[in-house]
Amino acid sequence: MNENESVPMVQLLSPEGDFAVPKHYAEYGQYIERLTEEDFLKFYRDMARCRRFDNEATALQRQGQLGLWIPAIGQEAAQIGSGYGVGKNDHIFPSYREHGVAITHGIELMSILKMLRGVNHGGWNPEETRFHLYAIVLGSQVLHATGYAMGVKFDGKVGTGNLEEDLAVISYFGDGATAEGDISESFLFAANTQSPIVFFCQNNQWAISSPTASQTRVPLYQRGQGFGVPGIRIDGNDILASYAVTAKHMDDAREGAGPFMIEALTYRIGAHTTSDDPTKYRSEEEVAYWTARDPLKRFETFLRRQGINDDFFNEVAEAGEKLATEIREATFALPQPPLENMFKYVYSEPHPVIEEQLDWLKRYEASFGGEN
Amino acid sequence: MSKIAYFNLPDVGEGLTEAEIVSWKVKPGDTVTVNQVIVEIETAKSLVELPCPFAGVISELMAAEGDTVEVGKPIISATVADDAVGATVAQAESVAAVHQAVADVAASAAAAEERTPNLVGYGVADPNGPIRRKRSAAPVSTNTSAITAIPAAAAVPGHLAVPTHPETQVLAKPPIRKLAADLGVDLGKVTPTGLNGDITREDVLGSASQASVFRNLSTPAVPSEREERIPVKGVRKAIANAMVSSAFTAPHVSIFVDVDATRTMEYVKRLKASTDFAGTKVTPLLIMAKAMMWAVRRNPMVNATFTAEEIIVHNFVNFGIAAATPRGLIVPNIKDADKMSMLELAQAIEQLAATAREGKTTPADMKDGTITITNIGVFGVDTGTPILNPGEVAIVALGSIRPKPWVVNNEIQVRQVTTIGATFDHRVVDGDVASRFVQDVASVIEEPALLLD
Amino acid sequence: MGNFVEMPIAKAINAGLRKAMHEDAKILVFGQDVAQLGGVFRVTEGIHAEFGDSRIFNSPIAESGIVGTAIGLAMRGYRPVAEIQFEGFIFPAFDQITTQLAKMQNRSEGHHPMPVVIRVPFGGGIGAVEHHSESPESYFAHTPGLRVVSPSNANDAYWMIQQAIRSTDPVLFFEPKRRYWQKGQVNLDTPPQDLHSARVLREGNDVTIATYGPMVHTSLQAAEIAATEGISIEVIDLRSISPIDFPTIIESVKKTGRLITVSEAPNSFSIASELSARITEECFYHLQAPVIRVGGFDIPYPAAKLEEIYLPDADRILEAVDRSRAY
Repeated sequence: MNENESVPMVQLLSPEGDFAVPKHYAEYGQYIERLTEEDFLKFYRDMARCRRFDNEATALQRQGQLGLWIPAIGQEAAQIGSGYGVGKNDHIFPSYREHGVAITHGIELMSILKMLRGVNHGGWNPEETRFHLYAIVLGSQVLHATGYAMGVKFDGKVGTGNLEEDLAVISYFGDGATAEGDISESFLFAANTQSPIVFFCQNNQWAISSPTASQTRVPLYQRGQGFGVPGIRIDGNDILASYAVTAKHMDDAREGAGPFMIEALTYRIGAHTTSDDPTKYRSEEEVAYWTARDPLKRFETFLRRQGINDDFFNEVAEAGEKLATEIREATFALPQPPLENMFKYVYSEPHPVIEEQLDWLKRYEASFGGEN
Repeated sequence: MSKIAYFNLPDVGEGLTEAEIVSWKVKPGDTVTVNQVIVEIETAKSLVELPCPFAGVISELMAAEGDTVEVGKPIISATVADDAVGATVAQAESVAAVHQAVADVAASAAAAEERTPNLVGYGVADPNGPIRRKRSAAPVSTNTSAITAIPAAAAVPGHLAVPTHPETQVLAKPPIRKLAADLGVDLGKVTPTGLNGDITREDVLGSASQASVFRNLSTPAVPSEREERIPVKGVRKAIANAMVSSAFTAPHVSIFVDVDATRTMEYVKRLKASTDFAGTKVTPLLIMAKAMMWAVRRNPMVNATFTAEEIIVHNFVNFGIAAATPRGLIVPNIKDADKMSMLELAQAIEQLAATAREGKTTPADMKDGTITITNIGVFGVDTGTPILNPGEVAIVALGSIRPKPWVVNNEIQVRQVTTIGATFDHRVVDGDVASRFVQDVASVIEEPALLLD
Repeated sequence: MGNFVEMPIAKAINAGLRKAMHEDAKILVFGQDVAQLGGVFRVTEGIHAEFGDSRIFNSPIAESGIVGTAIGLAMRGYRPVAEIQFEGFIFPAFDQITTQLAKMQNRSEGHHPMPVVIRVPFGGGIGAVEHHSESPESYFAHTPGLRVVSPSNANDAYWMIQQAIRSTDPVLFFEPKRRYWQKGQVNLDTPPQDLHSARVLREGNDVTIATYGPMVHTSLQAAEIAATEGISIEVIDLRSISPIDFPTIIESVKKTGRLITVSEAPNSFSIASELSARITEECFYHLQAPVIRVGGFDIPYPAAKLEEIYLPDADRILEAVDRSRAY
């Protein structure tokens, strides 16, 4: 057992694929009872989709088609599970590795690839998708999420019992980001205002090359307690735990219970990014240990025991290949962004310097007569 | 259908510039699929397996294991289907060139070490070094509509010739430079009067007014014919005959004019100080010679020869200078002096004087003169009535130049004043032409800027 | 024409805030001690009593949190007006201001405009301890995506705070704290001009002074003295530090041929530097003298007993006038 696993955590699906709800986690078990087989299949489909997407993006980066790729391999259960635990009005503030959460909220995967190919800095509509933009500065988005949740509270959209209107906010961040002051300030502001927010920390055990042990002396789910933000640890490779615990605490937040923190213990099987080389700082044994705890394998075992057969898994694999081909072709087909885009959105209102510089740049480029 | 595709070594780690081929996982003839690992490379950051971007049959491995390859150079070629997606980015490059590039990298390990890989982004742009894009239009002004555009050619107009100082060595504030450019004034030729030795607005305006006077006067072009023959007939022939029948063979007429030569003296001083004239003797005689050349152009009749049948008007100037030598007065001339620049003329005068002093003046030097100057001022006299050099119809005497009272703006000021005297052959040169000629010479002495044509 | 009332700058900002809050229920005022106390300068005095907890509240002493949550609130549709208590305490929020607030509109391709105002009392001259007298405006003016303004008088303070709040871009609103209690006539009916235009406060022909915030008053004093010496100085109040209304300055410099910038900030790499560079580019052929910067020295803001020497005063400005005119 990994030393990080010595802390109690919510686990509904064992690494061997056994489903069991401990008595003291019954409140979470209720959320699983509501799920249909179709929900389970959707969970698996999306995890597989996320994995295939991730692998294709890595290959595209290795082929020079993306400036960078940020793999989420190993964290699919934490992301897909919690993503489906988010309600229909809720807002999500991701960090930069939440491809799985994005999948659960209908973000076009090409939007993410566009950003990593360098076509733009994000650009999807956060109001429409309720999935906000990726944030590169660690922890910065958690304050935005907190402010948004404060606004929800000021709007009176919390605890009214009107499920059509009430909403909560969830913010994702990693174990490394917990060291940022912005996270602590978020706990403080959220607790003081009792705003509807769930802090979802994916503890993937490595902040690039720094292990969690070098980031914190106490388990991270306890980080919010001193601010008045209670927390719980879950098995982040257990998609059912991730779904149930997120859904439960998002419901609570929406109903006015104030902020809550979930620490999902998972593992970053891949590199931090394609620029990283994890062989330099962690052992093969450790990676093998966690690869054996692959969240997809665990859930596949569970599904097969539920009677799901090869037909489904073959279909999923085929869909994955189709997706890979689609995004590969779409990536190659992404057009060069027009130079106006650099200037277009800097301000929302007219700005003389921007107008002047764009005008100059256009004339400058035109002075080459289109030659290169 | 198929085509050849290349896979260029990508930057796999945010700003890397090269990688070493560690091991090939394929060989020529192998069939590969999209994303099949084909090679393991080692970069400055990590050991990385590269997946193939297209499906096809490997044609060639373009680098050997152990080679260091630059990012952007092809590493394999393959035969792929025409519609293969990943192949569209591949850039065909000759194998020889690639091998050369590989060799270059290997040979310049030191250069490779100098590269500093940055840690963020898409790879350093342009690994092959900077290339300037070809521009089809003029530089782009940064000015906006709200701001007055600066004229594209703010430099001194070309017709002002090379300034005697480079512009930047002249002290002048930006608006003064602009004013000078607008007025066509060469700042290098303006005498600064500013407190810091800089050229003032007044200095430029002063020069500009001289220049504008000049612009209002046109200098006729040199006729294309070397000589122009005017038949002596009618009234002119009658006058000539009358003159000949008079007591004089060549009827001399002399006129005089006093002139303020202050600016000529300043001009001489500036020329002396200029780098272009370094080592060359500059005297008022030089300005006088130039003045006569200009006046001749405007009054060609003074540069002529009288014969019984015709008056030969010379469209060239062989400029005679009366020189007192140990062997007596001689008048060597500078051939085609009107074609010379100020500097060339100065050098020619200096050479002529030196030759005469040394007694080496040849008959050819004295032949075919067309007009003459005698610098009697060097003897300290104000003026005189010089005798025509035979075969010529005009001679000018330059008197001494010295401070004298002069009326300027209704006030008496001390100015450098001289007298210009001239004698003409009245058979050819009437009084009005003679007067205009002398007046023109005097104008230049008073305002040498007239020469800035 | 208009309904004129005399009030000091602090009260003018207060009145402007209240007016805006009445007009738009989405305006939220927060920051350290802004509620019951009315802020350490009392700029928000009485607002809590009038509008209550739902519109104005005290934040924890966490500047990054103040700005970071303001961003989230703006995403939620609010128009936050956050106060940073003193300019020297803005730096914990520097990251949120420069990497998030300034870039959110751009990153989101216009989906998240940031109608956020950050009020910052700035500048010296109040005999304060360290971190209470600085002029950090250049850091923000240097950051694309932000707008930076500073009122110099009560009328501008009243109107500019309202205009800043109405802007859908983030505005850093630098308040000249040593002039808070300087009174002026406020026209309650008609705004003087738009937020980002400069104003010629005094016309002159010999030298142009471009200044902003607390140094406007000092520059006008210098112009007054110069007039007694027969020197005619044109004084321009920038009002907007970013963007700068260059056409107004250019027009003036083309008339006078001379520009002196006056600010409290250290001169190097400053607003003054930008003015100097830009005016040299745009007015090159009109400059009779190089642009001269009168500003703070490139040292940490000194202890209070030395600040009168550190800060530009009329004499320092007039010395620069003399130097400019000597060219």
